[in-house]
Amino acid sequence: MGERADVWQGTLALMVLKTLQALGPLHGYGIARRIEQTSGDLLAVNYGTLYPALLKLEQEGYISSEWGTSDNNRKAKYYKLTRAGRKQLEREAREWEQTTEILARFLSPGKESA
Amino acid sequence: MRRVRGWLLRLRGIFGKKRRERELAAEMESHLQMHIEDNLRAGMTAAEARRQALIKLGGVEQTKEIYRDRRGFPVLETLWQDLRYAARLLRKNPGFTAVATLTLALGIGANTAIFSIVNAVVLRPLPYKDSSRIVTFHTKTSMFPAFTLPLTWPAFQEVRAQATPLEEATAYWETDRTLTGRDQPEVLPVTGVSSGFFEELGGRAEQGRLLSEQDHQAGQDRVAVISNTLWRTRFAKDPFVIGRQLILDKEIYTVIGVAANGFSFPEGSEVWLPLSLTPEIKQNQKFFRFDVLGKLRKGEKLETLRAELGAIGQRIAKGNPSLGKDYRLSAEPLLDSRVQDARESYLVLLAASTFVLLIACANLTSLLLARGWGRQREMALRAALGASPGRLQRQGLVESCLLALLGGAVGIALAAGILQVFRAIAPGDTPRLNEISADWTLLWFALGSSLVSGLVFGLAPARRAARMDPNDALKEGTAGSVGGTSRFGDALVVLEVALAFVLLIGSTLMMQTLAHLLHQNPGFRTERLLTFDLPQPPQWNRKDSEGHAAGQIARLKDMLAQVRRLPGVEDVVASDHGILNGMMFEHAGLQLEGALPEYSAVAEGVIERYISPRYFQMLGISLVRGREFEEQDAWGAHKVIVVNEAMARRFWGTLDVVGKHLTVSTDDKGTPEWNEIVGVVGNVRDVGIQDEAGPEYFLALFQWAAGSHYLIVRTQANPDALASTISRQIWASYPDQPLTHVMTLTKTIAESVGDQRMHTVLLGVFAGVGLALALLGVYGVVSYSVARRTQEIGVRMALGAGQATVLRMVMRQGLTLVACGAAIGAAGAFGAVRVIASELYGVKSSDPWTFSGGAALILLVGCLACWIPARRAMRVDPMVALRYE
Repeated sequence: MGERADVWQGTLALMVLKTLQALGPLHGYGIARRIEQTSGDLLAVNYGTLYPALLKLEQEGYISSEWGTSDNNRKAKYYKLTRAGRKQLEREAREWEQTTEILARFLSPGKESA
Repeated sequence: MRRVRGWLLRLRGIFGKKRRERELAAEMESHLQMHIEDNLRAGMTAAEARRQALIKLGGVEQTKEIYRDRRGFPVLETLWQDLRYAARLLRKNPGFTAVATLTLALGIGANTAIFSIVNAVVLRPLPYKDSSRIVTFHTKTSMFPAFTLPLTWPAFQEVRAQATPLEEATAYWETDRTLTGRDQPEVLPVTGVSSGFFEELGGRAEQGRLLSEQDHQAGQDRVAVISNTLWRTRFAKDPFVIGRQLILDKEIYTVIGVAANGFSFPEGSEVWLPLSLTPEIKQNQKFFRFDVLGKLRKGEKLETLRAELGAIGQRIAKGNPSLGKDYRLSAEPLLDSRVQDARESYLVLLAASTFVLLIACANLTSLLLARGWGRQREMALRAALGASPGRLQRQGLVESCLLALLGGAVGIALAAGILQVFRAIAPGDTPRLNEISADWTLLWFALGSSLVSGLVFGLAPARRAARMDPNDALKEGTAGSVGGTSRFGDALVVLEVALAFVLLIGSTLMMQTLAHLLHQNPGFRTERLLTFDLPQPPQWNRKDSEGHAAGQIARLKDMLAQVRRLPGVEDVVASDHGILNGMMFEHAGLQLEGALPEYSAVAEGVIERYISPRYFQMLGISLVRGREFEEQDAWGAHKVIVVNEAMARRFWGTLDVVGKHLTVSTDDKGTPEWNEIVGVVGNVRDVGIQDEAGPEYFLALFQWAAGSHYLIVRTQANPDALASTISRQIWASYPDQPLTHVMTLTKTIAESVGDQRMHTVLLGVFAGVGLALALLGVYGVVSYSVARRTQEIGVRMALGAGQATVLRMVMRQGLTLVACGAAIGAAGAFGAVRVIASELYGVKSSDPWTFSGGAALILLVGCLACWIPARRAMRVDPMVALRYE
């Protein structure tokens, strides 16, 4: 159980970073919605996973946060990518691509002999 | 890096908790509101929008909890809670806390103190430069197979030139020399050192300079380096001490330097002079021996050096057949040669003090276990409210560690006290005594052993508390129905008793040893004796000068006469060295007339002693044959000899040896001088109280020029009172005559068993503490079981069991434990006391009386420990007990 949660945490962090890169500064709710939309509503993000993940990323210096005002005048905490976060995103994205590529080779038997 | 940053931020997260908490709540609230707004936009009713958002987001409080864990260090925070909780608990039970703290303090204090001593003496490197590479050398010869001797000058030169693993080798020679010209004459330990000595040890000068190469050249070698102690005491910190004169044995030296504070090698040396080979030494190179220090090159092994020394030794032996085929040359680390036998006896003490600590820990475990039963419902409640087993266990361990730290703190004070006592009772010749002190090592060791003990004694109770099923515990309505006795608790008590028994046997054996030694009858009258050492400067007894020798004897006779006239003096005699102070001179190479065939020439060493007339009569040594020395046996008269019974029987096979001759020396041309035996005396122990009397012969002091003089005075009353009177009398006539080692014989004997006394005292204290703690353990377990079985006992009594039956039942339970412990302890002690077998005297390590006596004692005290709870059980009122139900 612990291991699967870790994987999820890891990928969630990547998704958060990617979202912030794509959309710029965003509040927690916006991040959650964006991830859900992008996943075609296959993923559900709740507080219990999102906020600890944001806190961890902030502690590690990949994102920073400040209080701001939302489109409809609501106070919300905005997160944005730092420079270290940008680098981390590139690194993790590369690794992830590599992993999926390798797995893809295993999972599509036709290409094995080629 | 990122990790570290994360940790630091988390550490900060511990503080400013309230503000962060508010921020989190606000953030989540805004998240929720945004979600609701979106839902409204999607066309839901207000109630439905809110409901959906809440479902989607999961439990708000749970999220906050996870968030908090991520924000700070939950472990640290709960640790802090646990600590506060534990502290509250300890405060609430002052009785329990006091007993536990004291128990642990005894264990930790004893263990820490002994460890400090072991560390200072055995483990810590000596305070010299690269001291681990410094070695000392010794030889073994067939003439004195029981001894290792230092090196002769030629052997030193060979080693220095040929042993390749050596970076440097220097020789030194310890002597006592008399300082005159300042106040009273004083005998100082003086060391003659060859060049390179200070460099090898890394010595430094506080003032002036140390000895250099050119100080060793003839004509320039009347220079001296003095110790810091001497400079501070004898020279009163004279800032202009460099260049001053130092008169040693009437030879004048110039002070060129003061050694740095703390530099002391050989231990106690006050003056260092350039080592010069006098004509006398040069003529007798075989007899004069020097201590040699070598320093191994970096990376060289001691084994390599030993192998090379073996080869060098063989070459030397081949060149000098007189050395015999058993000649050996070897080396050992300086630390080993300094510490010698102390290592073993300290390790024994360390083991004993560890036993005390183990007993203390076992005691605490059973105390906590007993208390754990009482707190079962509390634990169950906490578990039911959501505390995980891990958390409960951690809480238990925090409690025990806190308790252990309390014990450790008191233990440190105790250890410092033990060290003080140790320094006070340790014999003066204990190696590195002045290096023993309460230092940081002591503190760290106490802290470490506290925490380890806390974990050790706390683990079992904590696990038990955590393992318990809350359901069962909460259902148990009444206290009385909790299960029977605890096997584990019983095993602990058995272990305690066993350990205490081993300590008891060990210390009893040591006590018997000491008692035997102190009551050993040396064979002569030891009461009211006072002894003085009268060191003789070497130039007073040169053999080449008859006038000197005659003068020296006249001087001694005059001193004897003056002392004898003093009021309060019963009699006084002289000899060349002390009695019962471990000093002896052995002479090898005697030739005997008419002896048993195998002893016509005696190769082994025989004890030799020069004595004045009346010596035997005054000491009360029986004359078996012939006569003792008289005034007529004077300088120039026919030289005569007295032998003891052991010598007569061993070498001649009879006591009738008066009239026979033997040689102890040769004249200038090498012809043996034959001396007549005029008397045979009874055997006495005169070397050491523990040494059996061996063959010994006596020469008339007034016929020879002995190298040292010693006065033995028998007083009419308390000998201590006369010491200063006698000193003043001698100084009045001979102001340059130093007097040292002024001591009563009783004190000499006490000092000669100083090591045994110290070990006996410490072992005895440890055994006493161990025994007391173990019996406290027995008492605790039995009385706890009685308390828990009150109801059962009540039922039994209601059904007709008499008070005697109940008493028997409880006593049997307790005494079974004690007996098991004693049996296991006896088996353990049988093996364990072998390590002290070599220290024992007059009692065997497997002495059946000691073992049975120890067992009887432990059972007896065990009875006492069970008696109190047993009586409590006997007095149980069945009605009251049953009403509990």
